[in-house]
Amino acid sequence: MLRIILIPLFLIFLPLSALAEQKPVLNIYTYDSFAAEWGAGPKIKQEFAKICDCEINFVTSPSSISALRKIQLEGEQTKADILLGIDSSIVGQAQNSGLFTKHGLDLSEINVPTNWSSKYFIPFDYGYFAFIYNREKLSKPPSSFAQLIDSDIKIIVQDGRSSTVGFGLILWIKSIYKEKAKQFWQKLSPKIVTMTKGWSESYNLFLKGEADMVLSYTTSPAYHLIVEQDNRFRAAQFSEGHYMQIEVAGIVKTSKNKQLARQFLRFLISKEAQQFIPTGNWMYPVAKIKLPEEFTKLYKPNKPLLLDEDLILQNGQIWIAEMLDGFK
Amino acid sequence: MASNNNGKIIGLVLSIAISILLIAIFSAILGAKPISISSTIQPVNIDIAHLVRMSLIQAFLSTLFSVLAGILIAYSLNRLEFFGRKIIIAIFASAIIAPGLVIAIGLLAVWGREGIIANLAQILGLNWEFSIFGLKGILFAHIILNGAFAGTIFLARLDNIAIHKLKIAQSLNLSPLKRFMVLDWPTIKAALPHVSAIIFLLCFTSFPIVLLLGGGPANQTLEVAIYSAVRLDFNLKLAAQIALIQLIICIFIILPSLFSKQVNLRAGISRPYDWKENKYIRLFQFIILFLFFFAFILPIIAVLINLFSTEIFTILQKQNFWRATFTSLILGSLSAILTTLIAIFIVKAKIGIKNKYMGAIISLPLYAYLVVPAVVLSLGFYILSLHLRISSTIIAPFVLIIANSLLALPFAVSLLLPSLTAINLRYNKLSRSLNLSEFKRWHLVEWPLLGRDIGIILGLGFGFSLGDLGVISLFGTNEFMTLPWSMFLASGAYRTNESAIIGAIILLLIFSIFWFLPIIFRKWANAKS
Repeated sequence: MLRIILIPLFLIFLPLSALAEQKPVLNIYTYDSFAAEWGAGPKIKQEFAKICDCEINFVTSPSSISALRKIQLEGEQTKADILLGIDSSIVGQAQNSGLFTKHGLDLSEINVPTNWSSKYFIPFDYGYFAFIYNREKLSKPPSSFAQLIDSDIKIIVQDGRSSTVGFGLILWIKSIYKEKAKQFWQKLSPKIVTMTKGWSESYNLFLKGEADMVLSYTTSPAYHLIVEQDNRFRAAQFSEGHYMQIEVAGIVKTSKNKQLARQFLRFLISKEAQQFIPTGNWMYPVAKIKLPEEFTKLYKPNKPLLLDEDLILQNGQIWIAEMLDGFK
Repeated sequence: MASNNNGKIIGLVLSIAISILLIAIFSAILGAKPISISSTIQPVNIDIAHLVRMSLIQAFLSTLFSVLAGILIAYSLNRLEFFGRKIIIAIFASAIIAPGLVIAIGLLAVWGREGIIANLAQILGLNWEFSIFGLKGILFAHIILNGAFAGTIFLARLDNIAIHKLKIAQSLNLSPLKRFMVLDWPTIKAALPHVSAIIFLLCFTSFPIVLLLGGGPANQTLEVAIYSAVRLDFNLKLAAQIALIQLIICIFIILPSLFSKQVNLRAGISRPYDWKENKYIRLFQFIILFLFFFAFILPIIAVLINLFSTEIFTILQKQNFWRATFTSLILGSLSAILTTLIAIFIVKAKIGIKNKYMGAIISLPLYAYLVVPAVVLSLGFYILSLHLRISSTIIAPFVLIIANSLLALPFAVSLLLPSLTAINLRYNKLSRSLNLSEFKRWHLVEWPLLGRDIGIILGLGFGFSLGDLGVISLFGTNEFMTLPWSMFLASGAYRTNESAIIGAIILLLIFSIFWFLPIIFRKWANAKS
């Protein structure tokens, strides 16, 4: 009887024993789709292994915020060397935690549409929030938020309290409507079919036809183009501009492998690693590489919006409350 | 006599251990070093009263309609005899383990804007404008799942009405209404407190269904507020406080039912009694059954149909898929075994203790555990593992096994208690006079009679574990992958078809184990006796 229990347990733990090698191990805390079999993570890991004598271990969480929370919870006990994947809206919180050390890398190589000056976190990809629609079902997409609230179009968005994309919408609306954001949410709420916990539920509902548009990224159509050879999906182009999401990585203060971590971050923004970003993470790379042809067909907003991270840190909760008030 | 006490003591110890675990989880979270995200941030008040009100209204309506639906289903099934009746009962019985998220997705495929019903309406040229999102969507999903659950329990009671009573009633020529009031209602009424309390708890803490079909912040429950307090604000104290409020409300709801007579929570082996009713009433019964059966089965079929997608072959070739399946099956089996063992000991303790207040106190921790949100459990276990300085990757499988088996425990106990009580009443004196040891008594007396129940409990434990997504969230690593988790991953990376197929596989696994284990176990137990 004991054997029946012990053997399966042993088999569960077996993969872990692979970690018991002598090489230095770089623990990277990240969100799971980055490290998933089809994500950019495994390929970058493979390339990096060629130039370093080390082992990369991805420790994944359901989202980038959870990965940050994990490091905060673990405090001094954390084994994390690098936090990878938090976005510009939460960088203020992460910097404020005092858990990260300066990356010391030259940011001039980095190619993002706005100025990036953080000494703690380096960008490794970016994208723009946008509403995605199916052009066979929606022939006249709105060309602004103003048009959207005057139309009878139904949308699906994510809850800003649980989803970075949903929080992005709060910031997007804030950066356009400023002190009138609350009134705008009141007008937007009747258009919202449902507000999901995360991006994946909302995108699924949209693909099943539950709404005319879904909040996602301008780069989402590239997935359908490249993987499914499906060109029905487009991003609605909003004249007020599109809010940006910049994904960043930073080194944890308590890391014992800071040199190695720095080496990895330098590699992460190099062309060798960045080539995996467009079709792995479905975002824009920060290095000047040749993009897949389908990416050049995408709509790329010329009016990027981005709020200051300290401003977000100070007011994020208030803005969420404004959004919630819009539904009362 | 001494040996008889051992089982009782183990049960008591287990019950205390679960209480300690709960206290440890809450105090770990409350005692965690406060990590302020910024000293200058103005705290925003959460309208907890509003959330409590919304949750209560939703849970109350869900329970009311589920119980009504359950009574109608049980009434119709009890009166009618037709081919396939047993299969329908078995299908309804599995509602309790159907994973909420998968069913919600199935509901959308049927009732959604481009679902089966909408398409049908379009073909027929009807103007169909129905939105499943919002309070009605939540109610709809809850009524379908819990109505079927309640129906099978009520049916077992109706089918067990003594034949001599039915014969007298028939000779008195009772009208259908009179027969219902005189014979059926009293037996249903006895089961009401317990069944409604369980349904209320399930709806009050419902998470995936409310999140997917709720339609936004207007219809949210306390669980969502807890989730956001943990995730976005990282206000662990607030999360623990809201969770405690939820726990206290739920304890007040479950407490009265713990003192009422325990009710068997399973569909019995039913034997319909030929009770002639006029054809209009029979038609009414058939229509009720027909409507509910299709409301219940269509979403399930809509999910299972994904198994016939050609993409399934690509998935079946993936090593990762098999690893996830393997891990899930092992975790599911181990937590099913653990559930069964704990349930047996706790039920033995409950039978051994004559004082009904003590008996209620033993089962309280089980229900309390059920209503602690998964995100709080996950967080609590995680902080505990940090305190103990055990690597989270090593502790993850144990946490999953324990957490999931405890979730299935209240159902397992409610199922086992009446059966074991009956056996105890009948064979207690005999076993004692033969001086049977605890083990011999189990082996010779209880096991042969409980085979089918044990099979159901194992199936329950297995199903709860296989559908779990909540507790694993903080522990998930790439090295440790389960089926629900890979479903979640696939849908998070645009791979919606793959996610739908894995969802179908999970549902198929859960249902087949839930249906076949009781049969296998009954045969096994009978073969030994």
